[in-house]
Amino acid sequence: MTAVIPAGPARHVEDLDAVGRRWRLGVVLFIFADAAFVASLVFTYFYLRGLNTDSGWFPDGAASTPIWIGWTIAAGTVLSAAAYRWGHSGIRAGKEERLVLGAGLAVLVVLVVVVGQLIQLATFPFGVADSSYGSTTYVLGAANMFHLLITLFVGLGIVNRGRLHKFSSTNNWQVQIIGLWWTWVAAAAVLSAFTTSFVASPNLLVGNG
Amino acid sequence: MTIPAQVGGRVRSWMNRPEMRGVFWIWAAMTAVLVVFSLYVPARLMGPPASPTMHAVENTMTVFTVAASPVAAAVWSVALYSLLAWRHRGSGQPETDGPPIRGNTPVTALWLVLSSLLCVFLLIWGLAAMQSVTAAAAGRVPLQVNVVGQQWLWSFSYPGQGDIETDQLYLPIDQPVVFHVTSKDVVHSFWVVQMGIKIDANPGETTVTNVTPNKLGTFVVRCAELCGLLHADMEAAVHVVSADDFAAWARGRRSPPVESSPPK
Amino acid sequence: MSEAMVEFAAAPPSTGGGGLLRRLNLLTAVAGGVLFAAIGWYISHRIMQLGDFGSDRVVTITLICWALGFMVGIGAFAGPLRWLLGRDQEHEDEMFLAGKDQGIGRYFRFTTDHKVVGIQYLVVTMVLFAVGGTLAMTIRTNLITPNSGFLGPQTYNAVVGIHGLVMIIATIVMVTGPFGNFIMPIMIGARDMAFPRLNALSLWLLVAAVPILLSAAFLGGIPTGWTGYAPLADQAPPGMDAYTMTIIVFAMSSAIAGVNITTTALTMRARGMTWSRTPIFVYGVVASVGLAIPAFPMFMSAEVLLGMDRSFGAQFYVAAGGGSPWLYTNLFWLMGHPEVYVIVLPAVIALMEITPVFTRKPLFGFNVAVLSIVGIVGLSVMVWAHHMFTTGWAPDLNGSFMLTTELISIPTGLLFLVIIGTIWRGRVWTTLPMMAVYAMLWNFIIGGVTGIYLSDVPADYALHGSMFVTAHFHYTLMGAGLTGAIGALFYWFPKMTGRMINKRAGLVSFWLVQIGFNVTFMGMFAVGLAGQPRRVVHYDHLFAVGNFVSTMGAYCIGVGMLILLYAVVSSWRHGAVAPANPWGAKTLEWAVPNPIPLENFEVLPVVISDPYGYGEGDPVLPPTQRELVPVGAPRDPVAEDDTETSQS
Ligand SMILES: [Cu+2]
Ligand SMILES: [Cu+2]
Repeated sequence: MTAVIPAGPARHVEDLDAVGRRWRLGVVLFIFADAAFVASLVFTYFYLRGLNTDSGWFPDGAASTPIWIGWTIAAGTVLSAAAYRWGHSGIRAGKEERLVLGAGLAVLVVLVVVVGQLIQLATFPFGVADSSYGSTTYVLGAANMFHLLITLFVGLGIVNRGRLHKFSSTNNWQVQIIGLWWTWVAAAAVLSAFTTSFVASPNLLVGNG
Repeated sequence: MTIPAQVGGRVRSWMNRPEMRGVFWIWAAMTAVLVVFSLYVPARLMGPPASPTMHAVENTMTVFTVAASPVAAAVWSVALYSLLAWRHRGSGQPETDGPPIRGNTPVTALWLVLSSLLCVFLLIWGLAAMQSVTAAAAGRVPLQVNVVGQQWLWSFSYPGQGDIETDQLYLPIDQPVVFHVTSKDVVHSFWVVQMGIKIDANPGETTVTNVTPNKLGTFVVRCAELCGLLHADMEAAVHVVSADDFAAWARGRRSPPVESSPPK
Repeated sequence: MSEAMVEFAAAPPSTGGGGLLRRLNLLTAVAGGVLFAAIGWYISHRIMQLGDFGSDRVVTITLICWALGFMVGIGAFAGPLRWLLGRDQEHEDEMFLAGKDQGIGRYFRFTTDHKVVGIQYLVVTMVLFAVGGTLAMTIRTNLITPNSGFLGPQTYNAVVGIHGLVMIIATIVMVTGPFGNFIMPIMIGARDMAFPRLNALSLWLLVAAVPILLSAAFLGGIPTGWTGYAPLADQAPPGMDAYTMTIIVFAMSSAIAGVNITTTALTMRARGMTWSRTPIFVYGVVASVGLAIPAFPMFMSAEVLLGMDRSFGAQFYVAAGGGSPWLYTNLFWLMGHPEVYVIVLPAVIALMEITPVFTRKPLFGFNVAVLSIVGIVGLSVMVWAHHMFTTGWAPDLNGSFMLTTELISIPTGLLFLVIIGTIWRGRVWTTLPMMAVYAMLWNFIIGGVTGIYLSDVPADYALHGSMFVTAHFHYTLMGAGLTGAIGALFYWFPKMTGRMINKRAGLVSFWLVQIGFNVTFMGMFAVGLAGQPRRVVHYDHLFAVGNFVSTMGAYCIGVGMLILLYAVVSSWRHGAVAPANPWGAKTLEWAVPNPIPLENFEVLPVVISDPYGYGEGDPVLPPTQRELVPVGAPRDPVAEDDTETSQS
């Protein structure tokens, strides 16, 4: 089934584009896996809210977290993704400083968002054990936190490596794939804010069934 | 020659090839054995049914096994005939390759059509059976029994009969029964074995199933969902009795001083 | 092992590269894991005030620390840190990581060579099967008579759960782990996987998960069965925390492996290897790991929520606080049904790859096979609720899930057509791998047909939760899946180890296992139809005969598996040296010499036809694959003789 190229490509020297394409597919698949994880948490939220077993989703007199907090966190994440994109477009044009500046800005914004997310988790007006609404809101916040911490790590890497002149207008696939991740994190934060905007259960039958 | 005649001729000449005959006879013999097996074994193993539902399930088992017989026999007869007829004897690799057959569109199409038809049949059969189970319950006012599972026992109550509570199930024969099932702790599964019904007992929810017992006798409820330490012991007896005996039993249970006694 | 340890403790090889990783290996990993776990235990146990959920939190924190410490100790974090600091790996580092000139020590390191990872997976899989099989023997011994009293109910439930989870993990990795990693990259003409370091990462995460899983045995077991249904899981002993942590770590491992294998197959195929020239096994592997990519994160989230229920009193699955057991079953089976195909597809398709070789015929209906794989993968994510007909979560949907489930029988049936079409008029060469094909044809038909009964809603109402279900899925996962994996092992053993497997021992084991298997699970079908529930420690006298027969069959399997283990170990050590292409097969992995050089191909191959040109005289190609042997590489004389006769 095979023939042989007499003078094949020398070992270890791989086409940069091929490596970049490969990593791009890899990151897209990772995002797909993570999306399945996030989707199941969103499913959890809406399913438990819809079931409202024993009217226990959001018991009378319970407190909910103000929805603007979630949306602010999402807006911050979107802002950081935008700053990162601006930096990425810089390196594509060969401007290293703009990459470092954009990515550095993005990292700073993420840092602020991390603090905000921490404050939100610490000051929820309910406990994780109070109701299934409380539990699910906590886990969505924690998942967002997890995203942000990974983003912080890879963002710092890009800033540092940009500073060390690792990227150029032709060699920036690492910047690109991390941009994909960043965009997904922003989308997931928006999805999470959207989800937690719906609090009261539509199923108010007492003791349903 | 017309096209049907051509096809007919091809099929005939195909059937006259020795390997096709060999496979055919193996297939026919296997199918016959499997059909006999289907008719006698699965339903037998499931025991005499105590409700129309269980009767339908046993029918389904028989019919599906019969329907699967020619398919299973087709796969096995081709494999077996190939082994008998074309097995390479000798220790090393065969000296010659087999014929380079890369596919056969008519055979594939035929296989696809037959398996799709079989699938449609299974589906219609299943939907019809589901329908008949629900239809059987309609029409007459069913006897309601509330079932509560807990680690590791079943309790039953009869809301229409003055809330009798009992740990053994009494049911009148030929009377539709609807079970409202729930759990106090973990998930259990309410399984009336000989009546072919099963529904989970979920904490915080009530699930519903129904059946019409049609056989006098004592049967068994088992828990069909692992529920902890004594899951294996979570059984209860089911007594199907005549309508009169049931009424007498219910009367006896309603008046507190009289100790309940199982009717004959 | 002792021999390995000696070499492994010897001084590191003199070539450069590797950096810190030079000092790290399995021993440092275990030391790191134990150290971290001890610190985690001490802090959580002594210093933190843990309140009501104390023991669960201590166990969870300790196990997380174990996994972290283990990964630190094996060097998993070295790569990301170097990347962060901008100190990229030099060529020498990569060579060290790939295990160049390290002898047997490379099997105990964070080695990136896909062949090393494949062998590591094979060994881990065999260890898991040994543990799970021993537990199976214990279960069957307990069930030999209605009230044997061999195990108490608590021990019995714990053993059943651990058996289930060990076997599920073992069967998930049994084909894509060893053969997907070792064979698949060579088969597509690649020098390594797309992401070699992620490859090592997925393997070592799996290794880190195994002690977590086994620790469950000392923490009260997994008394819920492998399904871990809540809210029973909420009230289970801390063994359940080991269960959730096992699955979280294992889900990461398989998601990483899935991404890596999929990317490899999609982007690293040799020049000219179009999709229609790609061996069918590659499709099977990609279908399996591709399904795992979305499936296992859902499993992971189900277990994260369970862990929160247990350690923080969260209300996901507890009805009193607004949770629902139906949430667990949905998340679980959204993973659980695709997972069945994650296990079965690559095994059956490995046998499909084997069939043309041992019938000396092209694969019958390559496109049909590809389409049915696609069809099965597509349908398998739409059928999960057939496991939930009796839960009552949505009775009105039962009919539609019956429909999607029964539709799967059509593409599955086509897979059978492809295999018997290939066997038809072939030169049936009854080697051990070919015998596995025959065994699979028998077992998988039975597993498939009994699956159709269970897809029928009224029949499922009668059979669900009974031993019938247990027998059914053992027919698919073991009868088709494990048989396929064993066939694949027989087939690729000469390439992976460089030695031929002991055929006589293989034969004895084959017959013992297959006969024992059918006896065991036919008996189990019978008692299931008669009404014996699953997972019971004792049972009615009505079921005595069937259970006794089952147990006898199980012992037969046990003996057969021990003989298989003997065959593998002894042949690996002193079996006859294998030629490069003992079966005269045409896929690329047989074109590389034994032992396979570090990067497989000195010169990358270009593919000009598919690997099934049997009987077609290979129009373009010279009759041997000699041309592919790199210049200067040692030539195996037996291989030459063999390839000479193989192409007539
Ligand atoms: Cu129970
Ligand atoms: Cu399924």
